[in-house]
This record gives sequence, C-alpha cells and structure tokens, in this order.
Amino acid sequence: MAVIEATNLKKSFTQQEVLKDISFKVEQGEVIAVIGSSGSGKSTLLRCLIDLEKVDGGSIHMDGSPLVEDGVYCSKKQARQVTEKMGMVFQQFNLFPNLNVRDNLMLAPRLVKKEPDQVLQERATRLLQKVGLSHKDTAYPSLLSGGEQQRVAIARALMMEPELLLFDEPTSSLDPELTGEVLQVIRQLAQERMTMIVVTHEMGFAREAASRVIFMDQGRIEEEGPPEQIFNTPRQERTKLFLNSVLK
Amino acid sequence: MAYFTKIMPLLLEGTKMTLALWTMTMVLSLPLGFLVSLAVRSRFRPLQWLMEVYIYIMRGTPLMLQLMFVYYGLPFVPLIGPFLRFSRLMAAVFAFTLNYAAYFAEILRGGFLAVPKGQYEACQVLSLNRFQTMTRVIIPQMIRVALPGITNETITLVKDTSLAYVIALAELMHGAKATVSRDSNPMAYIYAGLIYLVIVFVVTMIFKKMESRYRLQEK
Repeated sequence: MAVIEATNLKKSFTQQEVLKDISFKVEQGEVIAVIGSSGSGKSTLLRCLIDLEKVDGGSIHMDGSPLVEDGVYCSKKQARQVTEKMGMVFQQFNLFPNLNVRDNLMLAPRLVKKEPDQVLQERATRLLQKVGLSHKDTAYPSLLSGGEQQRVAIARALMMEPELLLFDEPTSSLDPELTGEVLQVIRQLAQERMTMIVVTHEMGFAREAASRVIFMDQGRIEEEGPPEQIFNTPRQERTKLFLNSVLK
Repeated sequence: MAYFTKIMPLLLEGTKMTLALWTMTMVLSLPLGFLVSLAVRSRFRPLQWLMEVYIYIMRGTPLMLQLMFVYYGLPFVPLIGPFLRFSRLMAAVFAFTLNYAAYFAEILRGGFLAVPKGQYEACQVLSLNRFQTMTRVIIPQMIRVALPGITNETITLVKDTSLAYVIALAELMHGAKATVSRDSNPMAYIYAGLIYLVIVFVVTMIFKKMESRYRLQEK
C-alpha cells in the first residue's frame, strides 16, 4: 500500500487555480523531489497533504485511510490521526523561540505521545547527535545559525517518528554556505530509507538524493520519473525550458 | 518636619486606599483584558463585534465620566438600579477594571498579532491541540511583546487612581486636597507627589525585572 496517495487534487485561491488535477503516489522508502518554478503550486501541494490548506476537490489517503475523499474532509479526529503520521519542515524553520533546543524537541511528543519521559529524552539525545547539535542542547533558537535552526527543526519533526516527512524548501532561506549541512542531514535520512517529499530548488540535491523527481508547472505535474531521466532526457518541452533556466 | 509627621498618617491612609484600588484593578482587569483579547479574535462574529463596541466605548469616553456614571448613574437604571448601588471603593474598582481591561485587551491583541503564523502551523503539524498551542507556544511569545505596553498602562493606573477623587473616595489625592484646604499649606501636594513617585518606582522595578526575565529566556 502506498504511504500517501493523492488523486485529482484541485485547489484555488480566489481567482487563481493553484492545483489542477494532481495525482501521485509515494511508496515506503521513496524520496520524492518536487521541482518547478515559483508559483507552480509545489508548496501548496505539500501544505494540502498535511492539512495546512484545504483542497477543493480530490482525495488524499495515508496508509489507506482518507484525510479527504472527493473533496469531503473526514472528521477532525481522523484528520489528526492521519496527519500525526506526517512531519513537516518549513522554509522558515518555525522553531519555538521561547523554548531551548531540547524543549523544542520534547514539547510535542511529551504532550501528544504516550511514551515515558526517559524514552523521549533518550530519543532527543540521539536525534541531536544525528543532526550534529548535541552541544546546542540548552541553546535558544535565536542564538543558532539558520542551518543549525533547520537541523533542529528536522530533529523536532523526527521526535514524533513520522512515517512520512515533508520538506517545504528547507534550504531556501539559508545562506548558500549553510545549505550543505542541512542537505547532508536529509541525504542521511534518505539512506536510512525515510519516506520523504522534498520541495526544493536545489537541483544537485534532487538529482543525487531523490529516487523520483516530480516536475510541476502551473498547478500540474508536467513530468515525473527517476532523476537521471528527468535531468538527462526530459520529455516535455516545459521541463527542458525549466531545467535550462536553472542549470546554467 | 513637624508638619510632615503631623500630616503623614492621613496621607498614608489615603495611600492604602490608592494601593487597594490599584491592586484590585490590576488583579481583575488583566485576566478580563486577556479574555476580551481572545474574544476579539474569535471567529464568532457577534462576539467579536460586541467586544469591539465595548473597547470603543471604554477608550472613547473619559474615565472620569465612566467613574461618575458607575457611582452616581447606575442606581437610576430602572428595575435593577437599586441593586447597582456600590460602595465608593467598589464603584471605583468596577469602573477602573472595565476601562483598563479594554486597554489591556488591545495591548494583548497587539502581542498576539506579533506571533508569526508559522508558529501556529508548526504546532499543528506537531499535532498539538488548540489549548496546548496557546498555552505552550503562543501566549509565552505574546506576553514578551505585550509586556512593555502593559508596564506602561500599569504605571498610568497608579496615577489614574486619583480620578476616584470625583466620587469622593478617600484615596491619596483626596487626602492631600483635604489637608491643603484645612491647613492652607500646599506641602501636602508635594508629599502626595513623592508618594506617587515611590509607588511608580517600585512598580517600574517589578515590571523591569519581569521584562528582563522574558528576554533572558530567549537568549
């Protein structure tokens, strides 16, 4: 069964149609890179999957259970059960500035998960180690660099042990010299077979770390396939144009 | 000096009343203002409008008028009037609380607006419910932004208590005025002024401490 399946998603903001009939599936362990120019609907798509935006039509299923079916949303309780299996990392990190690094990690699982504190503390320690920030345990987010903040945000999302992790342009608000450390963490997760959907402008990253690339243009999936195919032999004219403009 | 020690007991009596009014108003108006700030943000439109009208009236009319209306006016309301006869202190607390709650609500609303949308979204994707989102994430950030404005209003309230003079509440200003008239000696005004300064100094120190604690928390 697909981890997440979207069928015929439609979404409009006032006049503009942002998603026009989007369908795709993500299987366990896949790493999907979603590429495309600004305004193509990539971020909106991601936000709809985790229920930050409502679609106007179509269905979203996670592990077979629906979040929305033919444009009709399920109950709040079920929506929560579905989205609880997903994590999300934002472009602007969105760490809690009133909490230090460890408390940023601990807050949600403590309140939401019914696990012993000891287990959560150990998990936080392990995850901070994984993203290379063990020494920043008690630091507040305002004292961290953008790259460090984003790595904390990834660890925070992993604390909830999601089955699917969504990244909304995780490196777009970082200085160029800081993108590497964040992409390195995502690459490592890819090697560990974490299922991920990454909206990104980093073509190098999409090419080497993704198992599949989705190219979006004007609210449609214009083309999808393995990275070698998309980057070396794109079939669609629009894909070629886009890649030419970003890969100069 | 002899005169100072002679009139001080009377002024301190008034100071006690001033502090009682200030304390009760603070204790009541801050929580009320918080509730109003939530109601103004409510998605239930009628409640939102009602609160906006309330804030408009409280900010748009003189506090002195509100005070006089509560003490002298409310007992004339048909049917329920007789039940609205307050003691001077209670009338003052009632009027000040309603007035200051409106100002606090506006300050807190500003604090809420300063919390980025991304904070709510982060809470949602981490499966926090609304209550957890507010108490653990939004309110701590909102307070940090609102605190300087609250400090300001709090200090203003120390001085505004003197308005209760118009309903003849025996507070500090009342005591000073009575003393000056009785003795034909203006020194009581100066002593009263000094007492206000001492109170404001203490209040300022307390709030400064709170502000720096909230700042430290994020460093």
